Amino acid sequence: MNIYVINGPNINLLGTREPEIYGKETLADIAIDCQEKASIDGHVVKFMQSNYEGEIVEWIQDAIIQKVDAIVINAAAYTHTSIAIHDALKSYSGYKVELHISNPHLRESFRHVSFVSSAVDAVVAGLGADGYSHAIDLLPELPIQSN
Amino acid sequence: MSDKKLLIINGPGLSDLSNYSELGYDDLSLDTLKQKCIDACDGLGLEADFRQNDDEPELLSDLINEVSNFDAFIINPAGLSNSSSIDYDAFSAAITKISNQSKPVIEVRIENIFKQSDSKPLQGAESGLGFISGLGKYGYVLAIQSINKKLSNQ
Repeated sequence: MNIYVINGPNINLLGTREPEIYGKETLADIAIDCQEKASIDGHVVKFMQSNYEGEIVEWIQDAIIQKVDAIVINAAAYTHTSIAIHDALKSYSGYKVELHISNPHLRESFRHVSFVSSAVDAVVAGLGADGYSHAIDLLPELPIQSN
Repeated sequence: MSDKKLLIINGPGLSDLSNYSELGYDDLSLDTLKQKCIDACDGLGLEADFRQNDDEPELLSDLINEVSNFDAFIINPAGLSNSSSIDYDAFSAAITKISNQSKPVIEVRIENIFKQSDSKPLQGAESGLGFISGLGKYGYVLAIQSINKKLSNQ
């Protein structure tokens, strides 16, 4: 199974940015954890992060072209603003999971609206940084068609 | 081997899961869901107590009474028809009580509520409540994995 894990703005600051909310693990730690776990069963995880909305849109389009089986997307702040990411996700027919480290619905009201949620199959939030590896562990178990 | 106890409570409407097949979650029944949860917990050495109640006030008082007796909680508030049938304030009070005891609690919804219903997520203390929606019965498995990791880190 091929999986893209796409991360949005400020997630490169993980480990130093408000660690009381986001934890002490860095994005590199999380990426290694996910890739090592996935590789045990022969799955491939490509882990990406960008602070630019358009680059995230292009990665989703790349997932369409490459026929990637699943996308895990943490669009971070773009979650609450980006119709472009919503549209790109709607064009991708593989399995889609929206992921957040914290639970946006418990935070400021401007984080309660997500343009991603209605374009994905599932939403996972508030499980901490471990949410990534738990999601990667689960994806191959799901009854999803290869893309 | 852990002896941690997990309470899994399911709200109104979940006694009959056949409606979910229309949303693409096939072959779901409360029994298969319960078995999936028990199997996942057995593999991790967790003790699961799986309950469902169509009477929301009863379910909530059950939950509040059990907060001290369990180490972690999975809540699917469901609701018979739409968001108006969920007593958000009462769930929030129960979740706050759980969070005040620093115990893991995760809301699990079978369907993606942002796409497939007009329901809203539950509320609670800012750092105290996980949320999983749209993974069918596998959402419970993900919640169990996460809870097990959190309990083993404590």
